[in-house]
Amino acid sequence: MSKVKRFFYSQKAAPYVFILPFVLTIILFWIAPIANGVLLSFQDVLKDEWVGFDNYSRLISDKMFYKAVYNSMKYMIGTLILLIPFPMLFATLLNSKLMKGAGFFKSVYFLPALTSVVVAGTIFRLMFGEMDTALANQIMGILGQSPIKWLKGEWTGYAVLLIVACWRWTGVNILYFLAGLQSIDTELYEAASIDGANKWQQFLKISVPLLKPTTVYVLTISIYAGLAMFLESFMLWKGNNSPQNIGLTIVGYLYRQGIEKRAMGYACAVGLVLLVVVMIINMIQLVATGTFKKEER
Amino acid sequence: MKKKVLAALLCAAMAGTMLAGCGGSGDGEGGGDSAGSRDMGVEGEDVTELTVWTFVENHQDFYTEMAEKWNEENPDKQVNLVLSNMAYDDMHNKLSLALESGEGAPDVVDIEVGKFPAFMVGDIGLLDLTDAIAPYKDKVVESRLDLYSKDGKYYGFPTHVGTTVAFYNTEALEAAGIDYTTIKTWDDFKNAGVAYHEATGKTFAAAETTAQWMINLMLAQKGGDYLTEDGELDVNNETMVEVLQYIKDMQDAGAVATIAGGQPDNEEAYPLYNSGEVAVAIMPFWQTSRYTTYMTDLSGKVAIAAPPVFGDNDVVKTIGGGGTGTAVVASSPNADLAAEVFAYIKLSDEASNEIYNVLGFDPVNTAVWTDTALTENPDNQFVQYFNTKPFAPLLELQDSIGLLKSATDEKMPSINNVFTTQTLNDIFESGVDVQEALDAAQEQLENEFAS
Amino acid sequence: MAMDTIGKSQKKKNAVATVLMIILFTILAILIILPIYAIFMASFHPGNFLLQYGLNLDPDFANMTLSNYVLLFTGDHDYWIWFGNSLLLTVLTVVLTLVISSFVAYGFAAYDFKGKNFFFVIVLIILSIPFEVIMLPLYKQISTWGMMDSYVAVVLPFLAHASTIFFFRQYLLGLPKSLIEAGRIDGATEYGIFFKLIVPIMKPAFSAMAILNGMNAWNNYMWPLLVIRSSSKYTLTIGLNTLINPYGDNYSLLVVGSVFSIIPIFILFICFQRYFIEGMTAGAVKG
Repeated sequence: MSKVKRFFYSQKAAPYVFILPFVLTIILFWIAPIANGVLLSFQDVLKDEWVGFDNYSRLISDKMFYKAVYNSMKYMIGTLILLIPFPMLFATLLNSKLMKGAGFFKSVYFLPALTSVVVAGTIFRLMFGEMDTALANQIMGILGQSPIKWLKGEWTGYAVLLIVACWRWTGVNILYFLAGLQSIDTELYEAASIDGANKWQQFLKISVPLLKPTTVYVLTISIYAGLAMFLESFMLWKGNNSPQNIGLTIVGYLYRQGIEKRAMGYACAVGLVLLVVVMIINMIQLVATGTFKKEER
Repeated sequence: MKKKVLAALLCAAMAGTMLAGCGGSGDGEGGGDSAGSRDMGVEGEDVTELTVWTFVENHQDFYTEMAEKWNEENPDKQVNLVLSNMAYDDMHNKLSLALESGEGAPDVVDIEVGKFPAFMVGDIGLLDLTDAIAPYKDKVVESRLDLYSKDGKYYGFPTHVGTTVAFYNTEALEAAGIDYTTIKTWDDFKNAGVAYHEATGKTFAAAETTAQWMINLMLAQKGGDYLTEDGELDVNNETMVEVLQYIKDMQDAGAVATIAGGQPDNEEAYPLYNSGEVAVAIMPFWQTSRYTTYMTDLSGKVAIAAPPVFGDNDVVKTIGGGGTGTAVVASSPNADLAAEVFAYIKLSDEASNEIYNVLGFDPVNTAVWTDTALTENPDNQFVQYFNTKPFAPLLELQDSIGLLKSATDEKMPSINNVFTTQTLNDIFESGVDVQEALDAAQEQLENEFAS
Repeated sequence: MAMDTIGKSQKKKNAVATVLMIILFTILAILIILPIYAIFMASFHPGNFLLQYGLNLDPDFANMTLSNYVLLFTGDHDYWIWFGNSLLLTVLTVVLTLVISSFVAYGFAAYDFKGKNFFFVIVLIILSIPFEVIMLPLYKQISTWGMMDSYVAVVLPFLAHASTIFFFRQYLLGLPKSLIEAGRIDGATEYGIFFKLIVPIMKPAFSAMAILNGMNAWNNYMWPLLVIRSSSKYTLTIGLNTLINPYGDNYSLLVVGSVFSIIPIFILFICFQRYFIEGMTAGAVKG
């Protein structure tokens, strides 16, 4: 056995060989692009010039960018409010011994997650059409209301986005919480029950606190997904241009500038701001929930 | 057990993939006619292959047909077109990325007029077509060539003039006691609209929110524009306010209303027109093909007329609207041949005949406009569909077809974007004051162009 | 006697609770099924109906037709090419991702080595970087490398997939170290241990991740859209989106094609539900 070969097979070298593909991927496909993105954000790529902080100073005074940030934040907060408490409650109910056929419902709720956003967005766009014969307006008609131009109003458009989010993710989040509930000792509930706590109290005092790790996980991915949302809006408005930009998100703006308007440098600046925002929010969230210490162990 | 099933499924999937792959390439080789991509399948040593990107599917038919004619006439310079059709936004985005990276661009590409100025920035990646156009230049409407030019050089072959005309649903109007031939001015138009709305409760015409066909027409008639003479941003100028206020007043009076889809040339709007919910469209001439394709119930019920005017002092009677410039990518190894072939495909007399027969457009080569064998051919689908001779209003307008100077300006794509997403929605959907909405647009655009 | 009454009333209460819960969850189920049902019904109606009336629940049996399905199976379009491309890409992605990610995860789980924590923290950081941030620079990079329009460029950046590595590592942490030691005593090499001893026992984890990655690959849109140029290489999602085009009445194919794109995944889901659920919830449990 040659020396090199022996070293390659040694216990000392092996772990590095094992993680080599990952390290390579990271360097080539994450670190290099991020570094590149930083460099590009100081350039006018079309004219191939260095422009210093021009892209950033333009960003600061760009109302459209603030609109995009506002929309993304609004969407993220909406999904947090709707997609954490309700799935948690539903999961607890489904987990209850009194519930029959929980497995069936679990499967049904999961179905939307299987459809691609391209298909789901198209379905909802057609359901929320302007005609009084489109599904949403049919329902309005049954309720005695006049048809609504759903995708033209700021708040109705927002509602449709949230409906799509709930449709796709309620089932998945229920599964997350169900998985979390499996790790809670059932004896705790029995003890509480003997102490006279009713079901609601048990939910608040046992399930909610003990589900914290799961909640933190769901919170983290929801923040990430909420701030990076683009395709849902892209499909719902059949492109990146929604009336009065009600569907414009941060990534949508990045796409508009970088791809549609060829301002690659400016788009990279937008991307880096998104990166910083996501990082900060996640840090705050992880520190606040005390998860960070555990991860670093 | 289950794992075995999974493995089997994956194998089946793989096998399926292979089969599908084979099927696909088989189609292509057979000179196929699948929707997304196609290959003419011309083979031979001297045949040059040209890749072509389009975003309108029936342009593929047209190019293929004309390329076959070219090959017949020029056996020494035969070409084989390999055409890809893509979604509108995707195609333009991919083109800009490809030109920028210098890689993956096609030889020939259709660029929509609204997107064209974006490709006239910095190092122009498109071929100067001036020489290729020269043999046809006398016969072609010059303003349409100008649309795809910069600094006196031409970069795109136009497809049509897109003369803006008025389409009237005569059956619906007559039922409400309105004779469209009496509509000469915008005031007539407005009065007819109010009367129609009061008589039927339906919409007379559209207040556009996702396009500016009618707005640009009115703007041009009044001699206005989006930019100043020097090309400075000026979207809140007095003329613009007048035009939008005029439409706003029409909306308040009930003569026009916003419609689903935001403009007549939209898949959500076609059914509205088809069912008589909306009666009138002020659109470029090529809307004819939308009528024959998507509004089949209206056959024999639509008249084409010259659009209304403000008065005798109007700067022009109409303008050309929309359009697609076919460009040749400069870095293509076959750029010169591609330019020669596509000049023939788009500008020759033969091409003009085909453009009308196949696509229903008003060809830029006006030599054929007076050829009644073509324009009044009783077998032609457009002659059959419309109650009026389709070319009659064109000949009437021929000498007064204008162009907004800003159309070729690189700021225009951004301006259109702000208008169709923000400004027009503010005014016609949310009831924001015209001046206020335009001031906001001006400010937003100034910010965008500041750097 | 008294005890008995309490028991009975409690039972009654419980029965009421069960019924109420079933009602609640049934309503929820109906709401969730509604859009899928609507598009399924729409696939039996002419495409222009959708534009004319929007998507709705009117059964409208009189106008039902199989014409869309006839178009799908016999018509003149690229749908099956897209479908095949998507299948190919999905299989390719899943196989490669699983092999590479498990390899890496084993390195993290089985060894203590210098820099391990550093690299693992990087895994965690990458988990929280939105791909969209690097999308444009990565695109530029790929194009300077001349990898545009190739499936390699679509797949390569994601092979050492952070969340998959994370999941595998968690799974492997639960394995007894004695297994590895036993392998060493038997004279197997470090890599031999992984391929011969570890891979076979990771099968459940593989199934879960195969499904998760497969779903993502099948539904992936943005990155392939940027990288792929030739329409002969389009995937299903990109292809379907080209049908949403202002210049063509393609809704017939769009609707039936959408329905058909969901079907393979639904079938897989029904067969392998457990793995789907494991895969999806993988990160949440041990967090």
